[in-house]
Amino acid sequence: MKKRWRTAARHMVLAVLAMIWLLPILWLFVTSLSAYKGINTMHFFPVKWSLDNYMQLFFRPDTVANFPAWFRNSMLIGVFSCLISTAFVLMVAYAMSCMRFPARKPLMSFAIILGMFPGVLSMIAIYFVMKLLGLTNSLTGLVIIYSAGSGLGYLICKGFFDTIPVSLRESARLEGASELMIFTRIVIPLSRPIIVYTVINSFLAPWMDFVMAKLMIRSKNPADWTVAMGLFNLVQRTLVGNYFSVFCAGGVMVAIPISILFVIMQKFYVEGITGGAVKG
Amino acid sequence: MKTELMKTRRRSDPDETGEKVSFRKAVKDGDFWTRASLVVMGAGYFGRGQHIKGILMTVIEAGFFLFTGCFSLPYIRKLPTLGTVQRKEILDLTTLQKTVNQYDNSLMILLAGVIGLLFLAAFAALYISNMKAVYRLQRQKESGGHINSFREDCRELINGRFYVTLLTLPGLGVLLINIIPILFMICIAFTNYDMDHQPPSFLFTWVGLENFRTLFTTSTTVTFGYVFVRILIWTLVWALTATATTYFGGIMLARFINNRQTRWKKMWRTLFVITIAIPQFVTLLLVGKMFGDYGIVNSICSKIGLTGLLQDLGLVSRGLSYIPFLTKPGWAHVMIILINIWVGVPYQMLIATGILLNIPEDQLESARIDGASEFQIFWRITMPYMLFVTGPSLITSLIANINNFNVIYLLTSDYVTANMNYASSNAKEVDLLVTWLFTLTNDYSNYKMASVIGICVFLICAVLTLISFSRMVAGNREEEFQ
Repeated sequence: MKKRWRTAARHMVLAVLAMIWLLPILWLFVTSLSAYKGINTMHFFPVKWSLDNYMQLFFRPDTVANFPAWFRNSMLIGVFSCLISTAFVLMVAYAMSCMRFPARKPLMSFAIILGMFPGVLSMIAIYFVMKLLGLTNSLTGLVIIYSAGSGLGYLICKGFFDTIPVSLRESARLEGASELMIFTRIVIPLSRPIIVYTVINSFLAPWMDFVMAKLMIRSKNPADWTVAMGLFNLVQRTLVGNYFSVFCAGGVMVAIPISILFVIMQKFYVEGITGGAVKG
Repeated sequence: MKTELMKTRRRSDPDETGEKVSFRKAVKDGDFWTRASLVVMGAGYFGRGQHIKGILMTVIEAGFFLFTGCFSLPYIRKLPTLGTVQRKEILDLTTLQKTVNQYDNSLMILLAGVIGLLFLAAFAALYISNMKAVYRLQRQKESGGHINSFREDCRELINGRFYVTLLTLPGLGVLLINIIPILFMICIAFTNYDMDHQPPSFLFTWVGLENFRTLFTTSTTVTFGYVFVRILIWTLVWALTATATTYFGGIMLARFINNRQTRWKKMWRTLFVITIAIPQFVTLLLVGKMFGDYGIVNSICSKIGLTGLLQDLGLVSRGLSYIPFLTKPGWAHVMIILINIWVGVPYQMLIATGILLNIPEDQLESARIDGASEFQIFWRITMPYMLFVTGPSLITSLIANINNFNVIYLLTSDYVTANMNYASSNAKEVDLLVTWLFTLTNDYSNYKMASVIGICVFLICAVLTLISFSRMVAGNREEEFQ
């Protein structure tokens, strides 16, 4: 009897915790269905329900909110920077994990030192460099910014490659396989979890970042913005009174595909983190 | 097949002769072709029949001189002063048209100068290694060794020297996005580039260590010293608490869900994971609005009388009709840490779950048989294992929290400081070093002080990393698992 009580209490605690964690998300969802456009301060649930925010989001782009264009921009940036980043991370990880060359250790130390400079510091300098190259105000520039430096984030992937038995590579080499073939035919097929982890991370980064995007894209035309930039702009003091529930609708629209992706990929994701982390 | 492969590998081995080749030796003992490479870098390859490689080298050399001569040299020459001619507009009274003089742009000089110097250094390294390579080639020819054809050289690029192929593009990317900007910003810390010295209208110049001195000065006009110490302390407190709370919170939650008595494990886990999947800036902005001065939490609190109760307790001042969750020091500090627990715990839970499931079950079983209590098992087996596995990543997340821009920036956008000392340094009580840095650059164009703060953050992170450095790079264990 006592045991049953404890089990029940255990589930109660979990339910309460889950509620705390889900409450803001529930609020996001119900507010996106509110007919009132500003922040609802008196009631948790909207007084009047409506789907108008979604209609406005998709079919009535105006001078500050152009969700279809934002979504397209973010999607383009996400896909391209994800392709480049994943390739870069895998390449660097393979070179550092599976090959031995004189500059290897110095390069690894150098990468760690570079990683210790705060990203915010170089932001403004990156802007000047991009301006020199004439790539501000363009999606190409943002893709470069999100993906070019990705080689530095190779450590987790290297940790994973370190666990692939060296004998596999040795025997392939004895069979006459080139390093390129070992990389593409043996190591990559064995690294599904870490590839999924890298793909998700690098695809999501552009969706989450608004600071860099705001710095790079100075255009006043909302059609040139990304989702993060646009949504961030909607809750600025002058707009929040008229666009808060639209912001919530936008948040939901971004969150749904990502959540589905995440829940499906959860297993790979965990394997990715832990597989790479175990080896320090 | 095998022996032939070994042969090709041997042939390509640069130190085949086993003797060290130095630049000086290459010049002294080189024949005509090798010495000609001092001027035309491809010459040494032409002389040995490697025509394509020779052309490539010469093209690189020509390209470098063109780049330096036409683009970067004028800037490099102005680097010591960062420009002397200020921009002037002259109104020509006869035509009524404005003409602008040939002015110097300090920003361009510094940026292009840094890039030019980097290219110069890279070229110097290439030049020296080229001489060595050419000399080695000469020796090979003399000893009657095999000289690689261009096709064989290309094959090497996907074989023994595959790492060169792999690292070139990512390396260039890092150079563009990380190295050049970092070098540039470090230089800025030694200049007076701020709101009053903005190119193109004005020049800025080198000032030595003056900005570092400013950072530690506290006087009636300069309050950077006062603010820096306080923000530094808050940054460290924040990083430690944020890391510790989410780390232990995550482990607790993971254990709670993984417990044998818990049913529907997968469902619980998914419920928490959903919160990770929503972009952080959306949830943080949303939570920030919920806890705003006139937000929904405040109206609920005043409805149930909590606001009045807190006023009676003296925790909220009488003058306020709301609880200043994110707008007053103290309150905001605590709230930020609490909200960060909300943000960070699911993520840590996910990681901890993966690791907890990997703990060797036999160890736990034998401990149970020996009569260890659950509490003992947790502290003696589970925690040491967790710490062993996550040790390095713990340092990483500590550093990530020192640089945790999003949480602070998004939650405290409505925060206005009442402390004059903070205000005159453009800071807030809840700022971390990085958010302060961002405000300084973005809103106040105070690049010089921002760079100095950035260097300080780097130093802190460097010290922390040194602690775990041996574990991460020494690589003693990297082959252990292969």
